Amino acid sequence: MAVLERSRRQTNIETAGDAPATTVRLTIARSDAGAVREFRVALTQPAVVLDALLAGQRLDPSLGFRYSCRVAMCGTCAVRVNGRPTLACQQPITPDTDELLLEPLAGFAVVRDLVVDTSPFWNAWRRVVPWFMPGGPREALPAGDASRAEVERGLDCIACGACWSACDVVVTNAGYLGPAALNRALTLVADERDGARAERLRVAGQQGGVTHCHSILGCTAACPKGLDPSASIRRLRRWSLVA
Amino acid sequence: MPEWPPEWLETDIAIVGSGGAGLMCALHAATADPELKITIVSKGAVGRSGCTRMVQGGFNAALGAEDSLEAHFRDTIEGGQYLNDQELAWTLVCDAPGVIDELETRFGCLFDRTEGGAIDLKPFGGQSFDRTVHRADQTGLEIMGRLRDQVLRIGAHELEDWRALDLLFDVHGELSGLTVLDTQSGHAAVLLARAVVIATGGSATMYRIAAPAREKTGDGMAMCYRAGLPFRDMEMLQFHPTGLVAGDSALTGSVLEEGLRGAGAHLYNRFGERYMERADPIRLERSTRDVVARASYTEIVEGRGTPSGGVLLDISHLGADEIRRRFSGMAARTLLVGADLTTGPVEVSPTAHFHMGGVVIDQDCVTEIDGLLVAGEDAGGTHGANRLGGNGVAESTVYGARAGDTAAALVRDRALYLPDDRLVADSLDQAYAPLRRSTGLTPFELTDRLKHVMWTHCGVVRSRGGLLQAREELSDLASQLTRIAVPGPKEANPAWQQSLDLASQITVARLIVESALEREESRGAHFRSDHPERDDDRWLRAVIAERGPDGNPSIGTRDVEFTRLAPGGRAVACETA
Repeated sequence: MAVLERSRRQTNIETAGDAPATTVRLTIARSDAGAVREFRVALTQPAVVLDALLAGQRLDPSLGFRYSCRVAMCGTCAVRVNGRPTLACQQPITPDTDELLLEPLAGFAVVRDLVVDTSPFWNAWRRVVPWFMPGGPREALPAGDASRAEVERGLDCIACGACWSACDVVVTNAGYLGPAALNRALTLVADERDGARAERLRVAGQQGGVTHCHSILGCTAACPKGLDPSASIRRLRRWSLVA
Repeated sequence: MPEWPPEWLETDIAIVGSGGAGLMCALHAATADPELKITIVSKGAVGRSGCTRMVQGGFNAALGAEDSLEAHFRDTIEGGQYLNDQELAWTLVCDAPGVIDELETRFGCLFDRTEGGAIDLKPFGGQSFDRTVHRADQTGLEIMGRLRDQVLRIGAHELEDWRALDLLFDVHGELSGLTVLDTQSGHAAVLLARAVVIATGGSATMYRIAAPAREKTGDGMAMCYRAGLPFRDMEMLQFHPTGLVAGDSALTGSVLEEGLRGAGAHLYNRFGERYMERADPIRLERSTRDVVARASYTEIVEGRGTPSGGVLLDISHLGADEIRRRFSGMAARTLLVGADLTTGPVEVSPTAHFHMGGVVIDQDCVTEIDGLLVAGEDAGGTHGANRLGGNGVAESTVYGARAGDTAAALVRDRALYLPDDRLVADSLDQAYAPLRRSTGLTPFELTDRLKHVMWTHCGVVRSRGGLLQAREELSDLASQLTRIAVPGPKEANPAWQQSLDLASQITVARLIVESALEREESRGAHFRSDHPERDDDRWLRAVIAERGPDGNPSIGTRDVEFTRLAPGGRAVACETA
């Protein structure tokens, strides 16, 4: 199969001087029959995997992938790089990189190329009742408060699905809520401002909930925001026991 | 290629955009009337696209003991150099504290608080009090995460990954809805609605160095322009002073937040001179964004910048631990590009960020077209010639909420109108055209050209000669649009979507260039090297742009009304709401 090449990436940024380019051989999982899978792109430093995808798109404009914010906020550019789920915008390509294998996230149906259908993730997310409901025992949590600290540990999830892709259980157990939804549940269960703790603990404790986690920690290793969903699941387990 | 007839969908309120404005609108409309059918049309992931989510610094609200609505208002007007629609600005500051309360107590946002339990307020540029509510440096993520989950609660119909194409009208000119396109399946539909709310955000992505998310290509503004709505202040495009410089990488232009300057970061040129001492000796780096961005730009173009075209932002004197505690997101962002905020200076450049200008609206987001509301960055007037940091997310949520209230009331008495078939056919023909052509241009080269033209000729510093050149280039680019050919299928084809984005961007770019030509003075974000002074005698006027009879922008001006505060700081009638 032909390898598409580009000697120097054309971009909308004028390069400063003659920054040395790193040539990287990309293998991209494609879903259209006969689509080119191998690309050779030249990237200047600094570069991230998203830059490689944009360079690949110049070679084959039909390449399917998605991204939005490019600063680890939207969570839409998650892919597997050399088998490991991560955000394309946050995965550096170092000057010594020769080859990269880019594949769609695991655990989801492929829409096209690197674009996946994340509805199983969102169906699980919905099931934990992820929205705050007023009515808890406290109105506000000051700095240094224990409840606040517990909530904050689980905030800033961007719902990218990297943890889902890394989780062994979601693949074999279609009813499992998965790491992100359970982490969201923990942030609300631990929040003494919230009034629906019992309901969420019931969902987290029942079929599909915390008891299915094997504590393999794939989710924690994969989280591009440095969150620890595995610890959230352990804490939820303790909450379920005392509830 | 478009299937005919297209699928027909029906709703009470169609909301285009799912950032802070769009989702607040949905939540307020559902609160006003839980029976309403609400449809959210979002080109990207719902609640995860657009710019509210990217807000790092925070949300201005006059909550401090010493602070007041009048002080917040005065800062907003002085920051905006008296070009603001004062009623919109006053509404913003009056509603902001209530929206903060709503975000916290109804929707669950966990904003930073002091040990005493009060909401923690941090300093931002151009403000007389510390009034910026935040959650560390990830404020937008917290707000949008919570709003997104609340939208799941109300069960709105979500057209996720669908783009809006064109507003539709019946044969008598009544608004009937819009054409929409599913970017994943490639199918189009007609969405009939009693009310349409445009909340897609701006189009600063048309610049070579730019901050916003990729969806922000001015689709809503372009739709409103084609429908004939008037715009104001389109020449007012804000450049954020501290965008990351990362060579060819897509990360270039992403913002390092305002709070760094608020917390005492210094800016240096490559000779180690702290150039803000010359540009604004009193406020220094905490000056307003327009002043700091222009000072940095001047250093760079006059050869005092770094070899890669930046200046240096240094906050390392705060100490690594303190920086990591307060600005963990920013520290991580610099590490990714091989710099380190915690230990030394990082390279930054002004980056295209935000439209102060937009569609003319009133305080209830009402436009000249019955049934059509506009909220957030698509609307103009709140910020005048320059927006204060922290007033952006305030605007999107305050006016999103108001649009939801207005829409809920409006649809009680507004019927559904069947669209003119020809408008539907034209809209879909145009959308699918790039896929139908077998040979032609790709959208990439044309997008690069647009970004270059706007950065060079309609950027931080402008002149008549450059703007005239930009006018010609844009006219040529517009004519090339009909030559774009995109290979591949209609499913999940980002190059096809980029060709549609480009059409919107060029439409909005023309409004900016024509408005910038008209304003022969320098004020706020608009700087003309051939008219470098602010001219209050001639130019306390808004530039109004709308579609002329020939399809090109027609330009006029309108006096700014000083309903509450006159230049020089004289209060006109600043009653407390």
